[in-house]
Amino acid sequence: MKSIPSCWQPMQSLAFPCSEQEVLAGVQGAKVAVDAVFDSVSVVTTFKEELAKAGVIFCSISEAVREHPELVQKYLGSVVPQADNFYAALNSAVFTDGSFVYVPEGVRCPMELSTYFRINEKQTGQFERTLIIADKGAYVSYLEGCTAPMRDEHQLHAAVVELIALDDAEIKYSTVQNWYPGDKQGKGGIYNFVTKRGDCRGRNSKISWTQVETGSAITWKYPSCILRGDNSCGEFYSIAVSNGWQQVDSGTKMIHLGKNTTSRIISKGIAAGFSQNTYRGLVSAHRKATGARNFTNCDSLLIGDRCGAHTVPYIEAKNSTAHFEHEATTSKISDDTLFYCRQRGLSEEEAVALVVNGFVRDVLQKLPMEFMAETQKLIGISLEGSVG
Amino acid sequence: MNVAIMKTKAEQALSEAFASRAGELPGGEAAAKVRLEALGHFGALGLPHRRVEEWKYTDLRNAMKEALPPASGKASLPSNAEVISVLGPLATFAAHRVVFVDGKFAPDLSDLVADGAVTVSSLATVLASDGDAELLAAAGSESNAVVALNSAYATDGAVIDIAAEVTLDRPVLVVHLRADGNAVTTTVRNIVRIGEASEATVVEAFVKLPGAATDYRCNTLTKVAVGKGAKLSHVKATLEAGAGIHLANWLVDLDAKANYRAFHLTAGTGLARNELVITFAGEESEIDLSGIFIARHGEHVDTTLVVDHAVPRCISRELFKGVLDDHARGVFQGKVIVRQDAQKTDGKQMAQVLMLSPDCEFDSKPELEIYADDVVCGHGSTSADLDEDLVFYCRSRGIPLAQARALLIESFVGEAIEKVEREDVRDALADIAREWLHRAAAEKVAA
Repeated sequence: MKSIPSCWQPMQSLAFPCSEQEVLAGVQGAKVAVDAVFDSVSVVTTFKEELAKAGVIFCSISEAVREHPELVQKYLGSVVPQADNFYAALNSAVFTDGSFVYVPEGVRCPMELSTYFRINEKQTGQFERTLIIADKGAYVSYLEGCTAPMRDEHQLHAAVVELIALDDAEIKYSTVQNWYPGDKQGKGGIYNFVTKRGDCRGRNSKISWTQVETGSAITWKYPSCILRGDNSCGEFYSIAVSNGWQQVDSGTKMIHLGKNTTSRIISKGIAAGFSQNTYRGLVSAHRKATGARNFTNCDSLLIGDRCGAHTVPYIEAKNSTAHFEHEATTSKISDDTLFYCRQRGLSEEEAVALVVNGFVRDVLQKLPMEFMAETQKLIGISLEGSVG
Repeated sequence: MNVAIMKTKAEQALSEAFASRAGELPGGEAAAKVRLEALGHFGALGLPHRRVEEWKYTDLRNAMKEALPPASGKASLPSNAEVISVLGPLATFAAHRVVFVDGKFAPDLSDLVADGAVTVSSLATVLASDGDAELLAAAGSESNAVVALNSAYATDGAVIDIAAEVTLDRPVLVVHLRADGNAVTTTVRNIVRIGEASEATVVEAFVKLPGAATDYRCNTLTKVAVGKGAKLSHVKATLEAGAGIHLANWLVDLDAKANYRAFHLTAGTGLARNELVITFAGEESEIDLSGIFIARHGEHVDTTLVVDHAVPRCISRELFKGVLDDHARGVFQGKVIVRQDAQKTDGKQMAQVLMLSPDCEFDSKPELEIYADDVVCGHGSTSADLDEDLVFYCRSRGIPLAQARALLIESFVGEAIEKVEREDVRDALADIAREWLHRAAAEKVAA
């Protein structure tokens, strides 16, 4: 097993919230427990004892298979079946490790849980599996950070994430994805084909996805919520920044099955350079899902005239009590706004960063505090060279 | 993996019928060539189904289990009074009227004024005389099976030519009347060409005579070319009460500074699909597409739009409103494409639906595909049932339930009808909608 300091180093070099490193290491009051997964192998998990005191199980999935087989057998593959799609099938066949979280009945997880994924090796893919179960009345907030070094060849990341929220439980899942997006000519970069799905299985349960997408050459990622329990709630907050030759195709699926279920989708896409940024999402209400409510807002910002921003929502209301609202806008940063910022002494790049940060504010505020400041910087870095 | 594609009974019948019918179809050799080519496209495509993205919500292969024979043309022609009677409010405004009965031109029922400003002829005659086969060709025939079928089998239709720099006082009313007592297929192709700086209104009405069969197939395609600086208002009223299948395509090309306004009213059709493909070919043009659809029982109404901003500085507006009841299903697909160099594009789209019964369904797919940056584009889509608070308010003011519901629904669809600029046409459309809604509301309350 690698020592803790050596595994922090990659985090320092990339977007993982390294300024909170001390907090991560448990120096200050607020704590974040970390499971570090390098090339699909879990190398270290911190704060396990303290979590165990609260009854929370946080370990690598390989350990969970050995120590808690009854939980793994019961829940693994119950949200994303093996044959769900090509990449989920691939993951189910070859996954070696990943993170496992079980929060028992009535427990509010005492600290943020976090997994740090990194692809280190050349010519490999990463196929990790994450399974999070919040039992009745439990609460857990989970952060995921991803990075990869620069390589000329493409690498595949095909993960599967399954979330299960039972009665009155809440899971908050945040991702900051900063895989390597390829160089300026579009050479290299990660193919990020991930299946993420949450099942609000119990009454009054809630699953909230927050994602910041900046990396990967091609992203296909649709974190979804199956709102099975009555009064359950699904949320999706997303910032997708694409630059260079990146292609981002991301969005969510909100499948309303229970009664009086609600969902909310806020998606902010920023396209620059030669990139293509697509929001693709589904909101559906089953015939028996009476009282379903959804609000969707997709905004896209274009920086440069060679990039594209697309919105492809599917809205399916199968009963009249479903109230669905969808709105989307696409525009560029107005010249007046830029002029105003420049006139106040900001450089063009700073002005764009300022406007973009304002544009994504609604979503940034949904991120855990540990991630917020770093994410702002990350967006600035991702857009470097997109103006001027 | 090679899988032998099984053709359905209807697909086979549609492909095979051509050999026996080719002789009856109007046009010379060039036209026959276009038809054969289109038939080839249909053969390769087959009827569209759920796995064809544009037809995800309207499974035509499943809905069209069998092909119906073409209209015999032997149904006795109605009298002028009968035509006026079935047109209802649409007969209240003065118009240049051109009538087609079961897809065949009826000169005796038409009221045409050939004054040089507007020339209306029958497609069959045009094809027979100068054989302009281009009229039968249609963009998208290689990818859209319904367009391909129309090119292959079109029997007749109105060819409307409006000269340059004229303003038509009266609208041109094209009436497609269903009269055959047997379940038949009609395939019509209309052409509308409006010259530079002219202004006109064209109304297409699809209605039926009381004795016409309940089941039918109608495939209509209208090719529109709007000249530089011209303004065209184009209205379609689909009121073919019955359990048949109505498939309509409008292919519209706009020159620079053109203004095109379209309005669709669809009510009482078993399965209706209205597809509009608008291409901006010249700068500074403007379109305004709007419509209402009212569906009850097991009806299915699909509105599909493709607005292609291929050039800079164009404006597009879309507003569609639907009212669904019983087991009805409404579909709205609106795709706005802004090409890389189409800077300064301004596009807004809205689809709103009222769902009156717990069993109805609305599927919406408003799409934006944007490759230029200096644009302002947006879309919205909402679906909900009637606001019970508003109903309560009306009732507290002494308005009976049925009337209160009808009133609220009328005001909901009214916003779209308001988009029709000509007052006489607008009033006629509002009357038709009102009549439908009040009758539906009364039936609902009675039930």
